[in-house]
Amino acid sequence: MTSNLDKLRNIGISAHIDSGKTTLTERILFYTQRIHAIHEVRGKDGVGAKMDSMELEKERGITIQSAATYCTWKGHAINIIDTPGHVDFTIEVERALRVLDGAVLILCSVGGVQSQSITVNRQMTRYKVPRMVFINKCDRTGANPYRVAQQVREKLDLNAVLLQIPIGLEGDLKGVVDLVTMKAIYFEGANGEEIRETEIPDELQEDAEAKREELLDAASMYSEELMEAILEGTPTEEMIRKAVRTGTLSLELVPVFMGSAYKNKGVQSMLDAVTEYLPTPKDINNTALDLMNDEQEITLINNPAAPLISLAFKLEDGRYGQLTYIRIYQGTMKKGDTIVNSRDGKKVKVGRLVRMHSDEMEDIEEAASGDIVALFGIDCASGDTFTSPDISVSMSSMHVPEPVISLAILPVDNKAQVNMSKALNRFTKEDPTFRTYVDHETNETIVSGMGELHLEVYIERMKREYQAEVQVGQPQVAYRETITQRAEFNYTHKKQTGGSGQFGRVGGFMEPMDEGEYEFEDKIVGGSIPREFISSCDKGFKKSMAKGSLAGAQITGIRVTINDGASHNVDSSDVAFQLAAVGAFKEGYQKAKPVILEPIMKVAVEGPSEFQGSIMGSLNQRRGMIIGTVEEANYTSVESEVPLSEMFGYSTVLRSLTQGKAEFTMEFATYRQVPKSVSEEIIKKFQEEKKNS
Amino acid sequence: MQKEDLINKNPLRVLNPLAPESLPDHRMGLVMARAGLGKTAILVQIAMDSMLRGQKVLHVSIGEGLEKAKAWYEDVYKYIAEGFHLENASEVEEELMRNRMIMTFKESAFSRLKLEERLNDLVYQNIFRPDIVVVDGYDFVQADYDSVMDLKEMMAAMNVQGWFSALRHREDDRKSAAGVPAPCHEVDGVFDTIIILQPEKDAILLNIIKDEYDGAAGKILNLDPSTMMVRD
Repeated sequence: MTSNLDKLRNIGISAHIDSGKTTLTERILFYTQRIHAIHEVRGKDGVGAKMDSMELEKERGITIQSAATYCTWKGHAINIIDTPGHVDFTIEVERALRVLDGAVLILCSVGGVQSQSITVNRQMTRYKVPRMVFINKCDRTGANPYRVAQQVREKLDLNAVLLQIPIGLEGDLKGVVDLVTMKAIYFEGANGEEIRETEIPDELQEDAEAKREELLDAASMYSEELMEAILEGTPTEEMIRKAVRTGTLSLELVPVFMGSAYKNKGVQSMLDAVTEYLPTPKDINNTALDLMNDEQEITLINNPAAPLISLAFKLEDGRYGQLTYIRIYQGTMKKGDTIVNSRDGKKVKVGRLVRMHSDEMEDIEEAASGDIVALFGIDCASGDTFTSPDISVSMSSMHVPEPVISLAILPVDNKAQVNMSKALNRFTKEDPTFRTYVDHETNETIVSGMGELHLEVYIERMKREYQAEVQVGQPQVAYRETITQRAEFNYTHKKQTGGSGQFGRVGGFMEPMDEGEYEFEDKIVGGSIPREFISSCDKGFKKSMAKGSLAGAQITGIRVTINDGASHNVDSSDVAFQLAAVGAFKEGYQKAKPVILEPIMKVAVEGPSEFQGSIMGSLNQRRGMIIGTVEEANYTSVESEVPLSEMFGYSTVLRSLTQGKAEFTMEFATYRQVPKSVSEEIIKKFQEEKKNS
Repeated sequence: MQKEDLINKNPLRVLNPLAPESLPDHRMGLVMARAGLGKTAILVQIAMDSMLRGQKVLHVSIGEGLEKAKAWYEDVYKYIAEGFHLENASEVEEELMRNRMIMTFKESAFSRLKLEERLNDLVYQNIFRPDIVVVDGYDFVQADYDSVMDLKEMMAAMNVQGWFSALRHREDDRKSAAGVPAPCHEVDGVFDTIIILQPEKDAILLNIIKDEYDGAAGKILNLDPSTMMVRD
């Protein structure tokens, strides 16, 4: 347990794919002596970097799941959450950011700020995560950390301030100059573990002084003491560090460090910076909702003696069952304690409590506020809150986007069928954006998620981890339907087939609603529909929202008001009014000019400027709306909004258009009405499918 | 309020007449001011007015990022939609933004040639055919008469109107015979309409010092300094 919160850091490492964060994490673990040899992400030694604990990640050289790991550095405990770099796994990034106190944004000194870094940065801003930047790969040809720092200012709109400058670049990278101590730092020995501090080389002296001036200027905004000391010419290292820290915590300043993890340069200085400038759990204000008091927001206190409040932010299927990663926000969790899941009120006993080091673990007896640990044998979902039994509190709900794409999967044999169910059960618990259901009309199992790659990865995992071989159908876009005008209905459901009959009349109107999916308003006066059947009407309307008549898609954005109706003493029943509402909905829906909506994705394409014309052309052909372009030097990025249905297979097209030199990222933006011609196609297809089924 | 009322009631109407035939062919407009007085705000409002009328606007921003330019349009639209209680505000916004495209260039990446190339990309592939090109952040200090004239000719050849912003410097008091201050005192002949923004006590004045279209020259409009919106 870490009793001293001042010495604890919970940090995330976020970055664009391939900017080297896994290598950096690997080096951190090496220098903090959690591992004793260094392996590469796509290592020839076949071992792979420590943080990429899933085989698939090892194979693809990318990090998909955020594994938490613990290490110590100069008397500080550091929990590192390695976060995925691809936009399709955004929920993973977001969930990891929720439990972090601070983050290191890794940027490639050649590629600079790319689209994924922009997305991740936006998420960090949303969760108010103080951050610092590490410009990696300074040993690469074309490395220019100054240009990258400028991009951080321009593209990420962050007040980036250099705390180091490089000694040499590209193949000549030797070390860094620390602008606070004004010393040159060299990283020597076979793995850069021997640090040598000397005077700044003569040729860098002038540059270092100029950049230090800039640093002092920026830092002095956060400390009057420093400002005065600068005027008197006596700023101390401590004053500068304190001011930079204040600026960083207030999210107004972002200190920038640099090096090359691969060449073992600059990593230890970056670790020093994590302990010096990133927040402790005490620096961050966390809140939860008091379920006993109308979900009033309460501020959590970082006191180990207070009642326990903790959040399960990640589940993993380990060798010994479900492993639940937990961040403790308040109180202490001890082995043998009884804790309550505030979602369902179930009590559970804390069995094994462990501290994770990637996929190895260390048993511990207790953990206290601020800690990130893992529990064994707890059945829960990601995002659940666990508390002491005497309180009822929930951490605020996380923003979970609706899936936009789905596909049918068919197990190849019985064994695969069983394993597939196990896998789906696990994945849906782990990832709220991954959903699954059985389509009762076709009897197919449908999985849905946030993008093609998102689903592909789960299907791969099914095969590898669960031996569930499945056949995969064509991806389907999750269309929606809505109405565009107000329409009235007045429907009578009447049935007389011997025995007791069914009777109910429902009158009222439906109208479009900008926000929300469905609202029901009861304006019945005089009891024309008896009280007990009002909820039956609501149920009937709700049921109707599940499938629209145009494309069989879910209906959204409708407010239904009932203001008239009739009942029968004997023949009216719950079922009768539900059916009457279904009929009334159908009647109103036809008159309310229904339309089909389609998911629109925000697509950002980056590549050399010479391809800008072809990139824009390719987006335009896909019914894309080009929002804008950013052009600098010979590099361009194009931002656009494109219907998801047009984006299948785009990566192949883009690759061939640009000789593989451009890349794109995609995230859900909004739902928008489909153009008439497309709508007709969708309706036709739906009608044909209906006929054939 | 309906979209049509918004178009009719726009105080910018004096600058942007509803009957475009009354304007000179391929008009070139210029908005000049010191830093922070609302050059971009004026350009965006001129652009927005044209977009509301169904014209397509290419917004070229030199030295500023895409997000900043987008934010300007969002803010101006919000003021208009809320201030005038516009009906169907989100639908109108969606329709409007289809009429706009933003191109941002780093200072060093911008040239007439590059702009022409980009415009050709858009027009020939039928991606976007602008009626107006708004250029924010063009460096008039470094530009001479020929290069500005060159831009005008390019825009005329492409059949688009051009609107530029220019930054005035306090310490430079050179002026052209027509009263156009530096750095545009030598290129004032290129422009058909020139507006100078001048701070007053509780407003910023839009002084239309030149306008080939008869109605506007000599007129003065106001800019609300808190919202940067033009008012009568």
